[in-house]
Amino acid sequence: MAENRTISFLQFLNRLVFLVTCLILFVGCAGKETAVIKIGIAGPMTGDQSKMGMDFRNGVQLAVEEWNAKGGVLGKPVQMLVEDDQRDPKQAVSVANKLVKSGVAGVIGHFNSSCSIPASRVYAEAKIPMITPASTNPQLTDQGLPMVFRVCGRDDQQGKVAADFAVENLKARRIAVLHDKTTYGQGLADEFKRALAGRAEVVYYGSIIQGDRDFRAVLTTLKAKKPDLYFFGGIYPDAGLLARQAKELGLTAPMLSGDGTIDVKFLEIAGPAAEGTSLTFSPDPAKIPTAKAFLEAYHKKFGPHGPYSIYAYDATYVLLSAIQEAGTTDGRKVSEMIRARIHQGALGTIRFDAKGDVTQAPYVVWITKGGKFEELR
Amino acid sequence: MDILLQQLINGLTLGAVYALIALGYTMVYGIIELINFAHGEIYMIGAYVGIIVLTLLTVIGFAPAHLALAIFLALLAAMLVCAAYGYTLERVAYRPLRSAPRLSPLISAVGMSIFLQNYVMLTQGSADKVLPLALPTEGIALMGAQVSPMQGFILLTSVALMAALTLFIRKTRLGKAMRATAQDRTMAALVGIPVDRIIATTFVVGSILAAVAGVMVALYYGSINFFIGYSAGLKAFTAAVLGGIGNIPGAMVGGVLLGLLESLGASYVSSEYKDAFAFGILILLLIFRPQGLLGERVPEKV
Repeated sequence: MAENRTISFLQFLNRLVFLVTCLILFVGCAGKETAVIKIGIAGPMTGDQSKMGMDFRNGVQLAVEEWNAKGGVLGKPVQMLVEDDQRDPKQAVSVANKLVKSGVAGVIGHFNSSCSIPASRVYAEAKIPMITPASTNPQLTDQGLPMVFRVCGRDDQQGKVAADFAVENLKARRIAVLHDKTTYGQGLADEFKRALAGRAEVVYYGSIIQGDRDFRAVLTTLKAKKPDLYFFGGIYPDAGLLARQAKELGLTAPMLSGDGTIDVKFLEIAGPAAEGTSLTFSPDPAKIPTAKAFLEAYHKKFGPHGPYSIYAYDATYVLLSAIQEAGTTDGRKVSEMIRARIHQGALGTIRFDAKGDVTQAPYVVWITKGGKFEELR
Repeated sequence: MDILLQQLINGLTLGAVYALIALGYTMVYGIIELINFAHGEIYMIGAYVGIIVLTLLTVIGFAPAHLALAIFLALLAAMLVCAAYGYTLERVAYRPLRSAPRLSPLISAVGMSIFLQNYVMLTQGSADKVLPLALPTEGIALMGAQVSPMQGFILLTSVALMAALTLFIRKTRLGKAMRATAQDRTMAALVGIPVDRIIATTFVVGSILAAVAGVMVALYYGSINFFIGYSAGLKAFTAAVLGGIGNIPGAMVGGVLLGLLESLGASYVSSEYKDAFAFGILILLLIFRPQGLLGERVPEKV
């Protein structure tokens, strides 16, 4: 009942907004060409991931302001339309429709793979280019949509970097693989396992229940297989408990995990057991020379940067420069330009392959040392 | 062999915790035939009080130096706070509904559970709370298996508490009064037993056991959140039903059995179906022996 009422109230609001917009359009810009270039930003702006959404919006805002200060794109100022997908796939689709209707020239988003994949189909239908700064699931660009790009890596690239590190640096020959049964966790664990093929033996493959607190049963079985290393595809709270309980059970093999683990809570929960664990993530921007100007400007304006702020910033530059050089906002031509150009961004040189992925996997290994995450060089 | 032994130790530890919480469910059910769904939250509050007290003691520099005493103080504080919560819970949510239809206090219990969970989330935050001090984790080797100091502590404390509870119920006047109230509330009132006070005592005793379980779990896992009461409560309730709800030795047996089943199932069948395994056993038991392992078939009361 309550839900019905909310929906009808929203519908009412929608109609009101629509009417007012019509009136304004009718009176205000009769016969005029669009005076601004609109770009959409979509991600989780509220809820438990809102910090990620905000980091990401700030990155876009910084880029847009820099462009506008230089006179905009194609001589017109750039306008940002920020939408909240609440990390909900259903919401992501309706937000995508909304952005399409408001006539955006391109979209920077979404954040979660589970949102980016359904939303990408909406943009593809409307021939609007979409660049995600953070969605790593391979499926997104494997759909074969010609206007979908990402500036971050793919989980198969991440899995390969992790596998190379496990085999070549850690010299692991017997490896156990665990995941949390989520799209991200299992996807990453499977890619890792695939990349190991022939180089090391997977002695155990199993899963845990996300949010469970006792992993001793599975760890005991894992320990009995005598692995040199165990990989975990999942998020930091479970990873912290796993590392801690593994140590208590006397498992000496170190833990290797993915980008879902890079959070201070992992260090707190695991305690001393975090020492010596490693994970794959993008490089520390503080160590990239080209990122210096971005970091200074960002810190001055917004404070400390988030893990994906710089990706959002570069994604915006990729989109706006492609529009500028294509000389049009036509989605097809802009997409061709994005694919053809060599982009010089804060992260360094960015090139896209035929699928819309970056040609160079940006993953590096981080290791926990002295209670801190540190990029391994 | 050493794997089996290790899994048995893991399972026993888990089961001891389930059993302690299950006792609270079964005692309350035995006396007023109410499933106190807010009991899991009392356990969660116990864990929070334990972590908060240990954090305070660490801040003032007392904790790492006098570890045993600090843990004892944390346990004591959690027991006091949870006893107060248990008493208040009964007073506020159940006593006014004593003569209402049986469904009303049940709904009240679900409501209290949701309320307490959100109350802790709002006051303590939704992120995990982490134990501020590092406990000794070096295990003791036992025939190829590792027993961590915390596992030993949980097992010994649980056995001691269960023995104490059994003595309390069997030998003391208060215990006798509880048994009498459980058997027939009207009759007990007629022979001069203060029934309301006995019921309140049952809630307090159950809450104290849950508080101890909460603090031990906080020490064992090193981190907690406001949601742990839900799944632990569900498992403990399952344990109570497994043993025969209303039956005190049944709750102990049911808890230990559930812990063992989970550990062995996760290791020998599949870790993915750890929970499914526990609840599957419950369904089978309910089909073939609805009164539980140690429960008696009670004729429907009219």
